[in-house]
Amino acid sequence: MDPEKIKVILATDCGSTTTKAILIEKIGNEYRQTYRGEAPTTVEAPFEDVTMGVAGAVQELAELSGRKLIDEQGRIIKPCQNGQGCDIYISTSSAGGGLQMMVAGVVRKMTAQSAERAALGAGAIVMDVLASNDKRLPYEQIQRIRHLRPDMILLSGGIDGGTITHVAEMGELIAAADPKPRLGMGYRLPVIFAGNINARAEIERCLQDKTDLSIVDNLRPVLEEENLNPAREKIHDLFLEHVMAQAPGYKKLINWVDAPIMPTPSAVGSILKTIADQKAIEAIGVDIGGATTDVFSVLKGVFNRTVSANLGMSYSISNVVAEAGLGNIMRWLCFEMDESDLRNRIKNKMIRPTTIPQTLKELILEQAVAREALRLAFRQHKSFATTLAGVQQQRTIGDTFEQISSGAGLVNMLALDLIIGSGGILSHAPRAEQTAMMIIDAFLPEGVTLLAKDSIFMMPHLGVLAQVHTKAATEVFEKDCMVYLGTCICPVGQSKQGRPVCRYTLELPAGNTVEETLNFGEMRLIRLGLGEKAKLAAEPTRNFDLGQGKGRRIEQEIIGGTVGVILDGRGRPLNLADDKKRRIEKLREWMLALSVYDQKALEEKGLVGAKAPAGAR
Amino acid sequence: MAHAYTPGLKVTDSITLRKSRLLPVKGEVVVELKTQVKPDDVVARTFLPGNVYPLNAANILNIEAEDVPGSMLKKETEYIKKNEVIAETKGLFGLFKSKLTATIDGTIESISGVTGQVLQRANPMPIEVQAYIQGQVVDIIEGQGVVVETCGAFVQGIFGIGGETFGRLQMGVRSPSEMLGPDQIYDRHRGAILVGGSLVTEQALNKAIATGVRGIVVGGFDDKDLRAFLGHDLGVAITGSEQIGLTLVVTEGFGRIEMAQRTFELLKSCAGLQVSINGATQIRAGVIRPEVIIPKDKMPSSSNKAAGEIERGLSIGTPIRMIRQPYFGRLGKVVALPTNPAVLESGTRARVLEVEFTDGQRALIPRANVELIEG
Amino acid sequence: MLTAFVPRSQARPDAAMLVRIRPPVSPRAFDTPSDAGGCITVRWQLSPDDQPGGKLVEGYGIYRAEEPAGPSAALRVNSFKPIDVVPAGTTEYKDSSTDDAKTYRYRLVALSEFENSEPAETPVAQSSLQLFNLNRLNLLVISIIISGTVIFYIQYLKSGRQTFIRKIAGLEAVDEAIGRATEMGRPILFIPGIQDMNDIQTVAGMIILGRIAKTIAEYDTPIEVPTSRALVMTTAREIVKEAYLAAGRPDAYSDDMIYYLTDEQFGYVAGVNGIMVRKKPAACFYMGAFFAESLILAETGNDIGAIQIAGTAMPAQLPFFIAACDYTLIGEELFAASAYLSGEPKQLGSLKGQDMGKIIAMACILFGVFLATLTSVTGSSAILEVLEWFRSFFSVSA
Repeated sequence: MDPEKIKVILATDCGSTTTKAILIEKIGNEYRQTYRGEAPTTVEAPFEDVTMGVAGAVQELAELSGRKLIDEQGRIIKPCQNGQGCDIYISTSSAGGGLQMMVAGVVRKMTAQSAERAALGAGAIVMDVLASNDKRLPYEQIQRIRHLRPDMILLSGGIDGGTITHVAEMGELIAAADPKPRLGMGYRLPVIFAGNINARAEIERCLQDKTDLSIVDNLRPVLEEENLNPAREKIHDLFLEHVMAQAPGYKKLINWVDAPIMPTPSAVGSILKTIADQKAIEAIGVDIGGATTDVFSVLKGVFNRTVSANLGMSYSISNVVAEAGLGNIMRWLCFEMDESDLRNRIKNKMIRPTTIPQTLKELILEQAVAREALRLAFRQHKSFATTLAGVQQQRTIGDTFEQISSGAGLVNMLALDLIIGSGGILSHAPRAEQTAMMIIDAFLPEGVTLLAKDSIFMMPHLGVLAQVHTKAATEVFEKDCMVYLGTCICPVGQSKQGRPVCRYTLELPAGNTVEETLNFGEMRLIRLGLGEKAKLAAEPTRNFDLGQGKGRRIEQEIIGGTVGVILDGRGRPLNLADDKKRRIEKLREWMLALSVYDQKALEEKGLVGAKAPAGAR
Repeated sequence: MAHAYTPGLKVTDSITLRKSRLLPVKGEVVVELKTQVKPDDVVARTFLPGNVYPLNAANILNIEAEDVPGSMLKKETEYIKKNEVIAETKGLFGLFKSKLTATIDGTIESISGVTGQVLQRANPMPIEVQAYIQGQVVDIIEGQGVVVETCGAFVQGIFGIGGETFGRLQMGVRSPSEMLGPDQIYDRHRGAILVGGSLVTEQALNKAIATGVRGIVVGGFDDKDLRAFLGHDLGVAITGSEQIGLTLVVTEGFGRIEMAQRTFELLKSCAGLQVSINGATQIRAGVIRPEVIIPKDKMPSSSNKAAGEIERGLSIGTPIRMIRQPYFGRLGKVVALPTNPAVLESGTRARVLEVEFTDGQRALIPRANVELIEG
Repeated sequence: MLTAFVPRSQARPDAAMLVRIRPPVSPRAFDTPSDAGGCITVRWQLSPDDQPGGKLVEGYGIYRAEEPAGPSAALRVNSFKPIDVVPAGTTEYKDSSTDDAKTYRYRLVALSEFENSEPAETPVAQSSLQLFNLNRLNLLVISIIISGTVIFYIQYLKSGRQTFIRKIAGLEAVDEAIGRATEMGRPILFIPGIQDMNDIQTVAGMIILGRIAKTIAEYDTPIEVPTSRALVMTTAREIVKEAYLAAGRPDAYSDDMIYYLTDEQFGYVAGVNGIMVRKKPAACFYMGAFFAESLILAETGNDIGAIQIAGTAMPAQLPFFIAACDYTLIGEELFAASAYLSGEPKQLGSLKGQDMGKIIAMACILFGVFLATLTSVTGSSAILEVLEWFRSFFSVSA
């Protein structure tokens, strides 16, 4: 269909608990998201038909918008006629726990990691990565495959013309495990082989009879290069053919849609990549859920995604505490709390995951856990988003004392332009300042970074839309999906408390100019509304860096948002005081400066002493 | 969401329960339909395929990988014994032969001419499934297992550790607010399922294990003690496979919390009966909660309800329990259900309800933070 | 010397005619300090006639008698036996032929060309063994400081704290190089240099081989170790075998991986180059002592597209390796490798402690140079004194 003629777009995302529908309409010359509706996802008994949930959500949308979208047979009306129906319908799905995969390669840091990248990029949850050097004995690997029961296995290994024995060994292991898929007893487990072309015959020999084997181009034809797309596309195809087809009602849904159904995370990655490429920026997106936390990034043009399977805010909340350590949670609390009380509260949230914080104290506690969950997920992402390992280096005599190795991290916080947060605790925090503060504390942005949140988790819908109508997707992303929180300015460096960190002038749109000095250990907030822009000129002192080098002045235009301009003079890396009293004092100071929590409520509850706020405007 | 889903834990004195007792892989059912079974009766058994152990034959024999299949004395699927010679090189004029011996008892799984590996599979391991509850076999799923049906009382816990076990129910405390300490556990509790009140400490658990108590049902448990007891911080709430010497079922939550009066009274009325408990908990899609099953021989048929039948929504007068601070653990009933969301102290907007506690006090509570008391 | 000793009073009966020279003044005998016993020091002041230009006294005769001696003074005279003669101007004599069990008395006689002085007698003295050699106190101080820092850092690291150890890119890259070889399905080549096991660089290379072999065992990739010394071959076999065992894959080890080529330098190089060209290893390691062959090997390796990691302490060969290899361990890095690889507090602590010792030594050298420069510029005697003291602190006397 001619993209120009598309006026009304309907998109749904079938999550594991709710199906969310949005309506995008062309208003004048631009696309806007106009209505949204949701209904419980219906993949389990007694309904067992995902389209019922879709119909429910679309029906709600229809009622809200007054536009008839579903006909008497319960089908979506297409194309748009007489103010009824829509032009295209698209959908994503993560119902039934999404796509769960195992990947295997030869060397953990090389082909196995490339395979992992391919699977994660295709929106899968990688349950485990098998490699010849993962320090497990073959029988342990076999048990692992049997135990996990993945939906699909991606096998890679060897460059073209490289090792055959190792790849054949992995193939034999998979054959010996004789894995059965998680869903649907009737079909054979899909296995994708994307490795050494010379090993194909061997792999066919051992896997042809036991699995549903498909062979695609090698995802690492030479060590210097990755070729992930054939494998990713195959994963998508198999996802639709096998995994989705097993889920109840999906066959019907597949016939409804105008673009292939994508796994939700894959769609999120797609929109982030589209935006980052279009604007030539480096961006990180995070989605923190009840059980898992996804981190997406587009850095130096390379897309990466990681899933921290056991970092989340409800089912996995206790695991966040176990992994981060209690001390790390406690350090974000601006009041004293008994350790065993805290432990019990966290565990009670875990066993009753649907409850919400009623008191302010509980909210602060949950947000403290969120900071740690995000921090850990990001740390995992940083170690995964790397350049390729195993590349031959060219040296000159000048490299004598600086021998840089390959496989270095891609994340450079100073070069990062945008952080987008989504997921309940970030999107639905009572105050935007809380969202901003959580993102800053967890990601510790450096230099000048724009912060945003996804208003209603629309990114999956837009990701699919980007495949068929990029313009509509980017327009809606800009205008309706993203809610800018503001810009965060964090000089990198260390100093003594109270020493000057940076002098800055800010020309506000109202015409007035703010000219001040930021001191070490201080946070400030200057209000700058949504859609407003200001000119920033900042000159860090000689130990501090804003992206141009130590002591170098920067000048740029910055964007406001629901929070404004946040100046973070706490230094990088961030060191909180070891002394409990001093730390709490500092936390309170920052929270007041950014008006993160309601001052009156805090005082009433005795969570802080009454003290004049410093630095707030 | 249109309806706040408010799950409640089941506590009932009469219910008909059906339990599927299935093998993890196909096997053989050893009981017949309508058989009366006891908890420790085996109902099905099978053999689990053994582990695979590879041998790098090419290296051990010092030959090329492609020569490995030709040197094998045993072929695929043949039985092997530990230290038995399974491959031999031709050698030089019959001299200097090198030999490959099996490292386990089992069969040859595969022989590879590419990797030079020989995979040996160990002998299968037998697996048995017990009836777990006392009752009657009402259905047989061919090759997989049986369904056992029983009538009796049923209590769901919120969290547990340890797997299936059974024993005689005994009261360890006199009131639901009492703590179960180590000095309340006596030798006569050996083999019993013990009911505690508001809290059980780590010391009490250790004493119970030493005494031979099979299980403990209690209102609250401290996370600090859980960590000390398990030896690590519990991250993800998937339990049931711990080998700790007893099974613990917590009915209310973490911290010192009085066991609900109803639950306590029900257990008290069943003291002396043979019960089955399971601590297995899984808080994910497809929730599994720990359980206490008390089969009774005679049941008033009028009150006999099938499990999963009771599904009520919230309405005025519904008895509820608060499941989050600041009113955690308190009981009350719904007195108002305002339709519009309200702003909570935390600043969050959520749908709420008004509750009247048992002492007459009233409060606004988010709907997500209450649970129905089912029965 | 003793054979030439003739008591002159007897040789020259007419001596009474002349003015007698005076004996040395206030002689003392005492146990030589800071020694292992068996030595007594005799010290005296010069005879008033022993002056520069005086030329009267030509030397001093030293007599020794064991105590207790005979019953009378006369007998005692005879019990004194001459032991040595020292030239004029000497004020000290060390008699290192004493028995710790006995006590001695010494007599000193000033000698001139014509006559001897009256003897001057010392009190009794006995030699003994001292536990401390105070002359080497400075060494003790220095070793306490250096061992102290080593122990301090070991304890510091044992307590779980972290310390900064500069990343040695070459060692970090070992896994990567082996991984590359694995993915490419090609072998790994390890050259332990052309020296024998008595060369410390070869030993360091062997330690690194152990670590490489362990990774190789885990990856299950073939390795080739051609050696130019028989002893290196046996050592390498033991090390690699052990590494395979530690990695839990003893079945994957074969003696054929490590073999002897030739002792001839260029015969060996030709052999290795042949292996490189034929088998095209994906990773080459050069760890040990290298000479002229370094560039030939490294260039061939570069040509076949291998990741190359070299390590040597041969200063002349380092530039070649740096230019032709992906990573190079420079000099000391080769020796520090084992500590670096193990990550154990004990080894890391001693590495760190030794570094501190080196820093102290460098600081002392700089300070000494500074003092010496200052002395010669200003000519101040006070600074000279400080310099002398400073120099004496670092000098070791017997």
